[in-house]
Formats: sequence, C-alpha cells, structure tokens
Amino acid sequence: MNGRVGIIGIGYTAAQPTTPYSSFKELMFEAAQRAYFDAGIDAAEVESFVTCAEDLNTGLSIFDEYTPDQLGAVQKPMHTLTQDGLHGIADAVMQIKSGLVEVVAVEAHSKASNILTPDWILDYAVDPIFNRPLGFNPHALAGLEMNLFLHETGITPQQVSQVAAKNRTNALRNPLAAYPARLTADDTAAGPYAHYPLRETEMAQTADGCVVVVLASDDKARAAASQPLWVRGIGFANDSPTLESRDWVHAEYTRIAAQMAYRMAGITNPAREIDFFEVDDTYAYKELQHLIALGLYPNRPGEAGRALEQGLTRPDGKTPVNVSGGCLGLGWTLEASGLYRIVELVLQLRGQAGPRQLPGAKMGLAQSWRGVPTTSGAVAILSSEQKPWE
Amino acid sequence: MKTPKNVETHVWRGGIPLESRYTAGLGGQIFFQALKERGELVGTRCAACKQVYVPARAFCERCFAELTEEVKVSPEGTLVSFTFSAYDRDANRLAEPVALALVKLDGATTTMLHRLLRVTSPEQVRIGARVKVVLKPKAKRTGSILDIEGFQLA
Ligand SMILES: [Zn+2]
Repeated sequence: MNGRVGIIGIGYTAAQPTTPYSSFKELMFEAAQRAYFDAGIDAAEVESFVTCAEDLNTGLSIFDEYTPDQLGAVQKPMHTLTQDGLHGIADAVMQIKSGLVEVVAVEAHSKASNILTPDWILDYAVDPIFNRPLGFNPHALAGLEMNLFLHETGITPQQVSQVAAKNRTNALRNPLAAYPARLTADDTAAGPYAHYPLRETEMAQTADGCVVVVLASDDKARAAASQPLWVRGIGFANDSPTLESRDWVHAEYTRIAAQMAYRMAGITNPAREIDFFEVDDTYAYKELQHLIALGLYPNRPGEAGRALEQGLTRPDGKTPVNVSGGCLGLGWTLEASGLYRIVELVLQLRGQAGPRQLPGAKMGLAQSWRGVPTTSGAVAILSSEQKPWE
Repeated sequence: MKTPKNVETHVWRGGIPLESRYTAGLGGQIFFQALKERGELVGTRCAACKQVYVPARAFCERCFAELTEEVKVSPEGTLVSFTFSAYDRDANRLAEPVALALVKLDGATTTMLHRLLRVTSPEQVRIGARVKVVLKPKAKRTGSILDIEGFQLA
C-alpha cells in the first residue's frame, strides 16, 4: 500500500445567518448524505468518523456522544477533535496512511445562531488568573494584535479595509455565501471601530452550516464516483498559548504548519507552485498576516499590502486569495470554517466552481486558525494531480 | 423532511451555572505574594534561553526546564501594543471604549496585558511609549492581577 490519500466526496449546506428549521443533527445528516452521494458510497462503507467541535459552542458537554447517529457512525470508530475542521482532515490522513482504515468521513458544523452568549464562551477560554479578571471583550485581543501587526509590517489600515471589501465582493459569486456585498475599501473603512484599529466591517459575522468531507486510500480513491483530489501536504501547529509569550506579529502557528505541509508536498516556492489560497480572515488583517506566514512574501511582509492593492490577490490576479468570499463573505462557521475552504478547493480543482471558476487551477492551499484567544492553525494542500514520482 | 409552513419554530432554552476554581500554582504564588506584600513584579529566569517570564512560572516553555531563579523586574516598561475596545464581555457596546495595553516591562522578555489608564482616544497613545505600572494601595491588595490598577503613560 502506498501513502496517497484522496478526497473522494464533499457534502455541504449553504452558510446562512440562521437555520431556524433544522437542528444541528439534521444539518449534519444533510451534509453527510450529500458527501456520501458525491463519493458514490453508502454510509456503511465509511470505516471511521472524525467530528470537529467545541463543547460550549454546541451548548452541550461531551459533544462527541451526540455525533454518531446522524453520520451513519453508530457502532463504528469515531471521535471528536476540539479543533477546526482542517485538523480533522489531518486526523483522517493519518488514519488512512497508517493503514488502519481506508475510508474516513470528517465533519464540522456551526449552529452559531443558537449560541446566545458567544463572547462569554470566548472569555472562558482566556487565562482565568492573569487575563480574564481584567474583564475585556475577547475580540479586543485581535485589536491589540492588529495594531502591532500594522506597526511592524507597514501594512496600512486602508489595506486591511480593502481585504474586507474584496472578500465580501468575492462572495457575490458564491451561492453558499451568507454575507455577499458589493463593497469598496472606502465603504468598509467607514465602519465604526470595534476594537481600535479593528473596525466592525473587518470582523467576520457568524453563520450556520455543515460540511462533510470523505477521504480514502489510493485504491479506494481511484475507484470513486467523483474525481479524487489528492492531499499533497498537511500540517498543524501551535505557538505559545499564553498572551505573555506568544508572537504578536507573526502567525507562527501557520508558518510552522505550512513548513510541514510544504515539506510533505515538496513545495519550495509556494507563490509560484500553488495556484490559489483559501485562508483564515476571521478579522480582515488576519488574511494578510496568514499569507505572510505561508511564505508568499519572503522578502518583505509589507508586500502583502501592496500585492492586495495591485489586485494580485483578486480572483483575476496572479495569486487569488479567498475567491470563496472567506469568512468575511461566506460567514464565520466556527469549526466548519476550514472545511468550507476545503469545499472551495475541491470545487475549483474539479472545475465545478461556476462563475468564480479559476481557469487552469491545479493546486490549492487551505489554512485555518482557531480564533481568539488561540494560536492553533493548520494547512492543507490539495491537487488534482498526484506527485509525479508516486 | 418537509419544511413546515407558517408554523412556529420550536426552540428550547437552557443553561447551567458554570463556575470554577483555578489554582495559581507555585509560579503564580510567587508572583502574587510579591505583588500583594511588597508591591513588586517578580518573574522567573531561564538562563539557558535568556528568558525572564513575568508573571513567574514554574517551567520554561522553550527548553522544558524547571525554573527556580526568581527575578524582580522594573515597574516601568515599553508599550508594545494597545487597543480601545468598544464592547463588554456580554457584547454590549460601551459608552466609552476601554483601553488595553500590552507592555514589556524593563527586565522581562515577556509582555503583560492590562488596562491603560487615563487615556480616552488612540491619538493620545503611540506604540513604543514609556509606561509605568499603577498599583493599588497595599491595604487594598488581595493577591490578584487586579492588585495592579493598570499602566499609565510615563
Ligand atoms: Zn528555557
């Protein structure tokens, strides 16, 4: 058996500001049915299941006990990761590469519209002894980081506003997106400050939705109903968890995760070898910070802002970023965010992205961050082609 | 399944009382005792990594060594970053934003987050400014991070 792992099916619901009729289990059931149909398999053929969720976001304790039935996972190997969905993809890759199983389903969802105290949940993640007693809104950590990031890189507030405008506008071409809007940087720069220098318009709004991704071994992937996409690289990492000693300028968690993924994929020049990028933009400045950490601007980080201004990261640019609309345009679907990026990669690489199809896209990269107050990230690289030497 | 038409959607609200105790630990104990009793800011040093962790910690996150060397650092330092946050933890917009500062105290290699006192707008603040710690009077200190009132521009 060789070590190749392919994505053979994706299933998803549209991201929506609210989903009043469907329970989270029904959202998962819908996405799972679509994923298994896309893969041309029955639920019974899935050998192992990974769900990605945070207990408090689901309003439940020990959430993993709430997941087998709606995925077809009853009496099957399954577990939950308290991580973004991209970590789930890494988990599935390891299960398949180890030879333990051949077909794995990865699920993540958001029912954010049912979370009544979202900022309190984030607050409960802030260090209870040294930080939480200060009593600040946890999104303020993004304001602090953005201020230093701009100071150190020379990236301007206007460029950050432009990220928000680009991604909201990109979402107009994505039927899955919850927050499409035709905006200019002047529009987004007119928004009030939420956590100076971070503006309200530069913060992603939550959305509900669910994604299921089916991964398989080489043999199973070749026999799949849909065109398989190959996981060429995967990586994940954390910086220091403490606010006191983490790196507040560089997204080290992404840099290290990317190095892992590049090593596995044999990539030495990501800007040239990878056709498009779907990266975390929960806060607009994060898109630029993450692109820098991915090594796209190795000479000077300030180039990230200039490349944006020159339109290089627009869908018609040299290095399209967040053609899907990102979290800003599609909606912030909590742990499902990374899997919506996988959906975009798969649709683009299959040539099924409709009005936003990138011509000739052969390799794409997805990157995730778990949000404040974490320093947890993951990177996945997918390609329609296998490595020539494999 | 059929989507119901003109039917009230059924939702149930629920919650639990969620409270916890948190142990400051040996490192935290050193820091809070010095803060409460002497009004000092104490960290621990890792000589191998040339790090001074403030507040004090029992172990080095870089080389995994146990830390035993206590170091008193200065109550003055440099402003690394700041924000004016317009929301409270309950996601309500505040009448006046709260200023927060990330500060590197002289002698520490780590940063410390606290309130930035006596400023009302970003124009009054710049990254790189000198700041100093404002402590509560000894009689009011309890051994908490709130024994520090915050930072103020020096
Ligand atoms: Zn050390």
